[in-house]
Amino acid sequence: MAGLPKRIIKETERLMADPAPGITATPHDDNLRYFDVTIAGPDGSPFAAGNFRLELFLPEEYPMAPPKVRFLTKIYHPNIDKLGRICLDILKDKWSPALQIRTVLLSIQALLSSPNPDDPLATDVAKHYKEDEKDAQRVSQEWTQLYAK
Amino acid sequence: MDGHDASTFFSGSDNEDDAMLVEQPDENASEPLFLDGSDDDKSPEPSEKAKGKRRADDAYDDAEYIDDDATESTGGDVPRASSVSDFDFSDHHSRHSSPDRDSPPPAKKQRIASPVRETAPILDAPTYIGEFIIPNAWSNISGKGIVKVNDTVQIRRPKLETKPKAKPKPNGLGNKQISIATMFKPQVTSAPTKKKADTIVRLYNKNGSEFGRLPQETSSWVAHLLDLKVVELRGKMTDCPERLSTGASLIVTVDVYMLPSAFSSRSVEPLKDDFMWKEGDETSEEINLRERKVALLKLFKQIGLKPRSGANVKLSKADTKLNVSKPKRKTEIVGDGEEVEVDDEEDLSKSDLDMIYQKAQRGDKDMKEMEPADTFAMTLRGYQKQALCWMQSLESGKMDVREASSMHPLWSEYTFPPREDPSTGVFDLTEEEKPFYFNPYSGELSLKFPKSERTCRGGILADEMGMGKTIMLSALIHTNLVSEEDKAAAAASALSTKTQQLRLNAAFKSVKRRSNRAPSATLIVAPTSLLSQWAEEMERSSKPGAVKVLVWHGQNRTDIEAAVNSGEDGDAEEILDSEDEEDCKPKKKKAPRIQIVITSYGVLVSEHARSEKGRSPIFDMEWLRVVLDEAHSCKNRASRTAKAVYALQARRRWAVTGTPIVNKLEDLFSLLRFINFKPWSDFTFYRSFITLPFLARDPKAIEIVQVILESILLRREKNMKDSDGKKIVDLPSKEIKILKLEFSMAERKIYDAIYVNVKKNFDSLQSKGLVGKNYTNLLAMLMRLRRAVLHPSLVLNHEEERAMSPAGDGIVDVQELLARLKGGNKDSSTSSQETESTNVFASDVLSKLNNDDEDSAECPICLDVMERPVIVSECMHKTCKDCILMYVATREEKGQEPACPTCAHAPIRVNQIIEVIKTEADAQDGDAEGPERQSEVMLRKNNFQSSTKIDALIEHLKRLRDQDPCFRAVVFSQFTTFMDLIQKALRREMFEDYRYDGTMDIRKRTVAINKFKEPSRSPKVLVISLKAGGVGLNLTNANHVFMMDCWWNAATENQAIDRVHRLGQEKTVYVTHFIINETIEGRILQIQKRKTAIVQEAFRGAAKKAEKDSVENFRIIFGED
Repeated sequence: MAGLPKRIIKETERLMADPAPGITATPHDDNLRYFDVTIAGPDGSPFAAGNFRLELFLPEEYPMAPPKVRFLTKIYHPNIDKLGRICLDILKDKWSPALQIRTVLLSIQALLSSPNPDDPLATDVAKHYKEDEKDAQRVSQEWTQLYAK
Repeated sequence: MDGHDASTFFSGSDNEDDAMLVEQPDENASEPLFLDGSDDDKSPEPSEKAKGKRRADDAYDDAEYIDDDATESTGGDVPRASSVSDFDFSDHHSRHSSPDRDSPPPAKKQRIASPVRETAPILDAPTYIGEFIIPNAWSNISGKGIVKVNDTVQIRRPKLETKPKAKPKPNGLGNKQISIATMFKPQVTSAPTKKKADTIVRLYNKNGSEFGRLPQETSSWVAHLLDLKVVELRGKMTDCPERLSTGASLIVTVDVYMLPSAFSSRSVEPLKDDFMWKEGDETSEEINLRERKVALLKLFKQIGLKPRSGANVKLSKADTKLNVSKPKRKTEIVGDGEEVEVDDEEDLSKSDLDMIYQKAQRGDKDMKEMEPADTFAMTLRGYQKQALCWMQSLESGKMDVREASSMHPLWSEYTFPPREDPSTGVFDLTEEEKPFYFNPYSGELSLKFPKSERTCRGGILADEMGMGKTIMLSALIHTNLVSEEDKAAAAASALSTKTQQLRLNAAFKSVKRRSNRAPSATLIVAPTSLLSQWAEEMERSSKPGAVKVLVWHGQNRTDIEAAVNSGEDGDAEEILDSEDEEDCKPKKKKAPRIQIVITSYGVLVSEHARSEKGRSPIFDMEWLRVVLDEAHSCKNRASRTAKAVYALQARRRWAVTGTPIVNKLEDLFSLLRFINFKPWSDFTFYRSFITLPFLARDPKAIEIVQVILESILLRREKNMKDSDGKKIVDLPSKEIKILKLEFSMAERKIYDAIYVNVKKNFDSLQSKGLVGKNYTNLLAMLMRLRRAVLHPSLVLNHEEERAMSPAGDGIVDVQELLARLKGGNKDSSTSSQETESTNVFASDVLSKLNNDDEDSAECPICLDVMERPVIVSECMHKTCKDCILMYVATREEKGQEPACPTCAHAPIRVNQIIEVIKTEADAQDGDAEGPERQSEVMLRKNNFQSSTKIDALIEHLKRLRDQDPCFRAVVFSQFTTFMDLIQKALRREMFEDYRYDGTMDIRKRTVAINKFKEPSRSPKVLVISLKAGGVGLNLTNANHVFMMDCWWNAATENQAIDRVHRLGQEKTVYVTHFIINETIEGRILQIQKRKTAIVQEAFRGAAKKAEKDSVENFRIIFGED
């Protein structure tokens, strides 16, 4: 791997110096492209009070290609499957190099507040959310308490 | 045939021989064994006669044998063509026999040589030249009393066709004589084949019976000498067992006598013309010569005979070594380079050339210097004064400066050694030393002093580039404005013909006038690109008014011709007279006359065509001196240029070139031909002695070239030291940097696609074995690759690409852009509200362009300060240029529509991106661009597709501009299309650029160069085509060189760099070479390196152990391809 692009260094510095509320992202010492991330479950959502761990990896082509992000903490969410993969357009075709780690994580945080069962990744969860949102939210809440402490 | 041959001998006066002759023939007939091939068919009659006499003859055998030799010699001297009958034999015999009969007896007893020698002058008798011992001869019979120590031993050749018969009989007299004769005849052709068959040399006792042979290693060359009648060998048994047994070893001392016939027939040129060259192939004569050459060299070595003077001794030594070492290296060295060069195996590598020059350079350090005439306005450096002195001496015909002997360069002088054993006492020891001459290249021998013929004066000035050859010649012109002898003649004629003028116009030419007046004008022929430079240098180097220069080219020239054709004296004179005005003193007396006419090869060629039809002034007049600049322009002797050049009439001829040998040894020929350096100016001669041997990998070829060059070529190199050990040229240092760049993704894709294609083509050709036939085709493919490295649009030619590089500078007016945003977007799909907000935003962006805080604006992609900010014209968002381009490329690669990274507006088009260019406050130069000038910010469409190399160049230039706001840089490329792109890029970046290439006419070129040289406080960049500008130009005002592409050999590139790094350069020269990684360029570089390594090796050797190295070099030269 060649030297770390200036952009990544800059982003990291800024994340450390001025972290987004409820979000931390710490690069590994041995691989500065690999971040340990935590996102606090947004207030008012079934995930509130949860502390979700994620991993984020910046591929070689970054920022021309989006970062790879995955939940490590189990989460009951229609757009996140049981492997932790996230269905979010900016992590796919809507990626733009003008987006950053911070904006990506904020988007994920926002995704927790507003699940989108119409574009599901975990189909059973999505189905649950569509048919009985209340019950689904309850499960989400349970999982949060169970896993995201 | 026999009669014919025999006849030649009788012209001689020596009667004894004749007598013997009569007897001999019979023996020949009866015992064909000992005869040379050509001799055998003697007419039967004499043989029969002889039979009867044989026994009697035997008694005299010894004496006869020797006498025989004497005859040979006489016969050889005066060959006669008429055929002779037997009667003739007897006739002569009877006439002459008596006096000779007296002398044999003393001879018989001892070495028989003495009598002969005593009576005959050198030309007429075998002459002793030395002795050697054969320690390992062997006997082939057994028995007692056959031979004793101190017995005389005859050493002869058997006849070849038939196998040796049981009882060999003495003969050898007749056959020898006859074969001498054959040497003069073309009929000899049949002989060599037979001779080649074996080289047995037999030993006979004094009774004429064979008892032994010479060992193979000796007989191999002795046989040729005997066959060719070059020497006679007189043996003496030094040691042998009392009783011989087969295979017993014998020690024989051999006295060697040079036969007159060796000298008689061969004078260098005429023979060649008549015998060899017409036929082309190696004739029997040639074979003979070659064999004889080799044998003679061995002989001289054996007897320790060394040349007294002449250039060739050392060479021949080197040669022997070389023969040993030659084979080993054959496969290794030269091959690679040649695969790549278009030319075939004849090519010479740089190391070869160095070696060739090496000899010519040997004594240059200590050459004398000479001050130029006082009309010469510049100061010469030491080595330039040496050159002046050398040239002056060549012009005046004195050769002493370089100590070149006036002997023909190929000959060495030997002396016949005094006979050490004057046992007979009959001959005269006080006889003065007689020299003889040997040509170790051709094997010729001569008693006459072989003069080196120099009918024309002049030579080759081949100093390396940038040594100031022009100045040296200018000094020469000043110093030798008129030759001494011409001066006298001119003075004499001046009175009577004061008003006479010789005109260029042939109509006015009269033989009378011409003869009266010595030519005084110098004609300089140079490549078109250098005409004005020559003129300038000439003016600059002379005191005002001292010399008048006329550039005879283009428009100027038609003027002259109009004047000439009009036939009006006045007109013609005004322009032309100059050339020939009678009075030749350097300081002008009346009307300024032109001493120097400068013209181009092109003009010369067309004038030559004209002169063949009718007349052309330039060919009709005789020049005092013709100087060919970059004389390798006429290296192809068949070219029209060369022919035109040869046709010039001049008293003195100079060829000036940094590369007298470009690729092939034959390149040199044309120069020699121009200089009229005999005999090498004869192509058949040159070819036979140089080209063909070289192709046959005979190192002699190189040696001959060395010898030639030693006498007429002066070559110094920049890194040479003078006698004080200082560098003769002290140039500022030169830093060469090779910058390896990486392709952008798109470029890589394009390149790889082409590469795969070419490779496929090549592989299929190779598998079919058609590579050789499709050479040009392959080269074209390679060319495509080389272009792809530079810029994609050099290989892609569709619409799109063209759209990417439209003409114009792409400058956008801010107001116009705003207007367009307001009006133009109406039909777009966005809602009007959106459009509105976009417009507000846009005006905001545009209005802020000038604000300083905008400077620190961050690119959303790289998060860095925008180095080259651009605006996405569709939505007015800003990013770095590189970032957005890369992003667009990535998107396209994935098959996605390029979108604005900030607002995701899609699609965006790369050529609609607008660059924001901030002009530095102190940036200069008014004339270049348009109205945007007043604002400090300029918008420009991104309609120029750059390339990795161009970007690198621009980046470097910008950095340079920061460091040195008035730098001068020179950018070289081989491709004019690429030059176009470079220029476009330069203009976009507001660099002042000039161009110089082969398509421009001379005036434009001059203007470009002059403007580039004009002092100014702004940076200037000159874009030059490697081919047109690689030679001659003087660009020392610049000290930065950028090489955009690479040429096959480093030499060409260095030549280009030397435009800048040459005399007059005061600063360190920085050379930057742009190379793209993992492309064909890397391989070209490898080839270059390899060549350079060879060169360096050669240099290393040249410094120390020259001999060993030259062997090494030979290996290199003759390496298998």
